[in-house]
Amino acid sequence: MAYPAPLKKLVDVLCRFPGVGPKSAQRLAFFLLRCPREEVVSIARAMVEAKDQLTFCPDCGSLAEKEACIYCNDSERDRLMVCVVQEPRDVLVLEKTGQYRGLYHVLHGALSPLDGVGPDELKLDRLVDRVKESGIQEIIIATNPNVEGDATAGYIAGLLRPLSIRVTRIAFGLPVGGDIEYADELTLSRALDGRREIT
Amino acid sequence: MSQRMFKADGLVLRTRPLGEADRLVTLLTGEEGKFEAVAKGARKMKSKLAAGVDIFSYGHYTFHRGKTWPVITSQDSIEQFTWFRDNPQLYPYGIYMGELVDRLVSGEEPCTSTFNLLLEGWRLLGSCDDSYIICRSFELKLAHLAGYSPHFHSCSACGTAGASKFSPRQGGMLCTHCASADVISIDKGTIAIVERLISAPLSQAHLIRLSAGQKKTLSRLTSAFLAYHLDLGDIKSRTLLKEYNT
Ligand SMILES: [Zn+2]
Ligand SMILES: [Zn+2]
Repeated sequence: MAYPAPLKKLVDVLCRFPGVGPKSAQRLAFFLLRCPREEVVSIARAMVEAKDQLTFCPDCGSLAEKEACIYCNDSERDRLMVCVVQEPRDVLVLEKTGQYRGLYHVLHGALSPLDGVGPDELKLDRLVDRVKESGIQEIIIATNPNVEGDATAGYIAGLLRPLSIRVTRIAFGLPVGGDIEYADELTLSRALDGRREIT
Repeated sequence: MSQRMFKADGLVLRTRPLGEADRLVTLLTGEEGKFEAVAKGARKMKSKLAAGVDIFSYGHYTFHRGKTWPVITSQDSIEQFTWFRDNPQLYPYGIYMGELVDRLVSGEEPCTSTFNLLLEGWRLLGSCDDSYIICRSFELKLAHLAGYSPHFHSCSACGTAGASKFSPRQGGMLCTHCASADVISIDKGTIAIVERLISAPLSQAHLIRLSAGQKKTLSRLTSAFLAYHLDLGDIKSRTLLKEYNT
């Protein structure tokens, strides 16, 4: 099919979004073409505004509107505890639990030798410096429970060992609401490892 | 390969996210060679498939032939390699072995020897404390399976015996007269070690003791030899092996 040039350009641009292939890109493009002009402008404006107004916190790497993020700026939060996550969106998910009141450290990735991401690319020395400079007492590692996330967690634990602070890994358990018989053996064996006493 | 359903035992070489919640998994099997398959929903927390389609998995898989890729319909774990949890230094070694195999096996032809070599390599990483030497032996054996082995007996240009320079480009020795600028000096002891690393079982590689000088020569030789003969280009995980271990 021969696209008119502006449509081809739009589809090509939309294809750059994660998880969007040519077919979805085409669907999105036609959606935009059918929209009133004002709506297309407001969509485009929202993208530019988000890009212009949001930044990453220089201390913890979370999404921030000004220099420092709302977590680092919040004097009510526990400054002795830092939770390490892979992506800024993981911070938002943890915040939703309403249970965690410490600070964060966002890695913006995980160790992935196949993609050329090593300890230097994740700037892991920055985390070590942060621990050394502040009185942090516990690091909770909340990277993804998969090979990359586990390897990253292990590597970070090794880096922090000489600093003799408490390093913990979030527990892995069974998904809430499921039946045990449907759990895969790896999840089940790690749920056993992470068992706790009922008090 | 014409039925709609098929089964294979495979090793997961790599995975990448696909669409909203799926994973595209690169599998190495003995009988069906290397191919990509889709694990639907494998990025969701509640996916039963997720654990068995991550890298370093060894399992029985069943597939349904899809439009673009086979779709994994079930997975039963045979072995999970988890040494990288206790020893994060082993992680880039395991990844590197998988990446070498991924680059070397091009498609869906049977590759039982390569499959067995990788399976043994991944097993040994967990049971053996010298991952460096296992990795060098693995590289040389893999090159050997691909039809390339260094020749050490005489100068490959003029035939003179007792040559002492190895030319990665020639894949063999050169005497002092024929040597070009990129040769690596290698003594008889190190030649014997390289030959043993190719011919002895992988499980015995750790019995070989290397001096610091021999280790350096071996690293240079394998790296240059692989680069010239296997046409692998830039191997990202090999660069990271160095970063991890300094
Ligand atoms: Zn912050
Ligand atoms: Zn010669």
